[in-house]
Amino acid sequence: MPGLRRALIALFVVGVLFAGVDVALVLTSSHEDQKAVAAILGPLIGLGFIGTGVFAWWRRPLNRFGLLMTAVGFAWFLAALADSDTAVVATIGAYLAPLYLVLVVQLLLSFPTGRLETPAARAIVVAAYVDAFVLSLPVFLLGGDVNIGDGAPDNAFAVAHASGVADAFDVMTSIVGFGLAAATAVVLLRKRRTATPPQRRAQAPMLWTGLVVIVALGLVFGGDAIDVPDEAINVVGLVGFVAFAILPFAFLAGLVRTRYSRAGAVGGLIERLNAPDTQVSLRDALADALGDPTLQLVYWRESAGHHVNREGHRVDLPVPGSGRAFAEVERDGKRVGAIVYDAALRDDPSLVRAAAAAAALQLENERLEAELRARVEELQTSRARLVEVSMGERRRLERDLHDGAQQRLVALSLQLGLARRKLTDDPELGGRLLDAARGELDRALAELRELARGIHPAILTDRGLGAALEALAQRAPLPVDLDEMPDDRLPSAVEAAAYFVVAESLTNVAKYSGAQHASVRVDRLDGFAVVEVSDDGVGGADPAAGTGLRGLADRLAALDGRLEVHSPPGGGTVIRANIPCATCA
Amino acid sequence: MTTVLIVDDHPTFRATARMLLEAEGYDVVGEAPDGTSGIAAAWELHPDLVLLDVNLPDLDGFSVAQRITANQGAPAVVLTSSRDSSDFGPLVAGSGARGFISKGELSGAAIAELL
Repeated sequence: MPGLRRALIALFVVGVLFAGVDVALVLTSSHEDQKAVAAILGPLIGLGFIGTGVFAWWRRPLNRFGLLMTAVGFAWFLAALADSDTAVVATIGAYLAPLYLVLVVQLLLSFPTGRLETPAARAIVVAAYVDAFVLSLPVFLLGGDVNIGDGAPDNAFAVAHASGVADAFDVMTSIVGFGLAAATAVVLLRKRRTATPPQRRAQAPMLWTGLVVIVALGLVFGGDAIDVPDEAINVVGLVGFVAFAILPFAFLAGLVRTRYSRAGAVGGLIERLNAPDTQVSLRDALADALGDPTLQLVYWRESAGHHVNREGHRVDLPVPGSGRAFAEVERDGKRVGAIVYDAALRDDPSLVRAAAAAAALQLENERLEAELRARVEELQTSRARLVEVSMGERRRLERDLHDGAQQRLVALSLQLGLARRKLTDDPELGGRLLDAARGELDRALAELRELARGIHPAILTDRGLGAALEALAQRAPLPVDLDEMPDDRLPSAVEAAAYFVVAESLTNVAKYSGAQHASVRVDRLDGFAVVEVSDDGVGGADPAAGTGLRGLADRLAALDGRLEVHSPPGGGTVIRANIPCATCA
Repeated sequence: MTTVLIVDDHPTFRATARMLLEAEGYDVVGEAPDGTSGIAAAWELHPDLVLLDVNLPDLDGFSVAQRITANQGAPAVVLTSSRDSSDFGPLVAGSGARGFISKGELSGAAIAELL
């Protein structure tokens, strides 16, 4: 990201300019009593924050921690405006002076992600801004002592002089400041308790240094409020000041430590995974190494086009904002699976990537197992459905025979019996009865023919798929084009499956689609017979809704085949079946 | 003349049976396509005989027979089906019907034998 890099360099240059202004203000100030110290330490501290912040920003552009650190540096320079001899500038400096402290509180509470993750942390930061800039306002407006120093210009914001009331507000801001510092310390300690061991190791330098800053700040506020002697406050203040100054370096130390500890974690992971007769599971080893007990492994199923868990059940990868993140694992350029982890770990994606690379081989093995389980489960389900489908077909057959041909034959038998009796006394009626019987017989034959074709059409057995589909197209109630047909015979199971895909699809087209036209093609493609039936109807066919399409899918699954339905509303329907076929090159 | 109500869901059978029974001297006073309307028609028309199909779309023919024959002075019921009586085991005997005639063997004489 060269644009970001240039912008960050420019930001640092602006920081240097601020440092220059800071030095000039200190050196020309008539009321700064420690000019040498302030002129040397001031810029160093500010640039320390800005430099470290810019570095963190560049390394993790999405993490707001770098931005906050940089902001502390600039706020530090703003506080130096108080050294000005111009009353307005000095008063603005005094008013803005607490900003860097509030930002430090925000920085510590949002460490290491840069986001305030708990309501308590957010409440503390909001209260700190209110304390620093709202509660302190009466102190300025009522002409209170704004702590600029001896010989400094007067408070330029004073619109009235009520120093008693102003002092009361001053004490109140100190008391609130004390309370907020104490709350911050509690939140920081709690955060440390809930951190995982590797996180704790990595966060220790920043956290402890920050705690010293916060405790010292609290003591200074507390001392201010109850008028503790200045000497004592100054000692505590100095300790806090030193801790504040080294905060950026504590952060850098944490980074270095993290890198070492994380390299160690991945090294340990590799060792554990390669140990002979290792008992620990891959997931547990990864969870330990990454310090995330909620870590999950998911495996890519190429044939199904989605991920599955260890049991072979379908799993979707987490979406952004769900609190979970994932790292894809590849082996020899092929997708193997993914590590799904707590999004809090995202601040170091390189660690997850390193762990993923270390685990790729094992993950591939587990993927094969999960794939197998998923296939077994699919086979069990489709086998059960196939039995159900075949039972349903038998029931339908029985009903069709009973309601159709059998009824006609019953009527035929009755008509023949009656005709036989009438032939002598009423030959005319006898003749009419025989005609009616003939008609009944024709209809019974037609129904039986249709039924037999539904079971297995003879033309398919005798003349193959092309001829059977031609017959099917001719019988269809709408024009059907046969675009592409195999010239020679396919295995009989494949021909039968292909025939029923077309038969069922054309039945659906005629019943539901309102199409004007349909077309059918059967191609041979890479070991598959690909059957496609498309129409120009209303679309919106749902394979899950009816038994017809699902029955087809189950029949195909028994052959390791697959049914795809593309049917956008208003966009026609394409049914495509891929049937494995040994002779289809 | 014996009055008859035919209860069967197949119109072809109803028409043929009516023709056959009328030709053999029966008076077909009504037809019904399912069990519920069959029971209602039996109450309304008071036929001497109900020719009742076993496989009706709503109710089972045996329970229809039970309900028609439950009262004193109810019509006689003869069950019929395109299936064979052996398919139904003891159900015919327990239904209150006079007997069973397979549809293919339906004739005035076969009915007269059961009445």
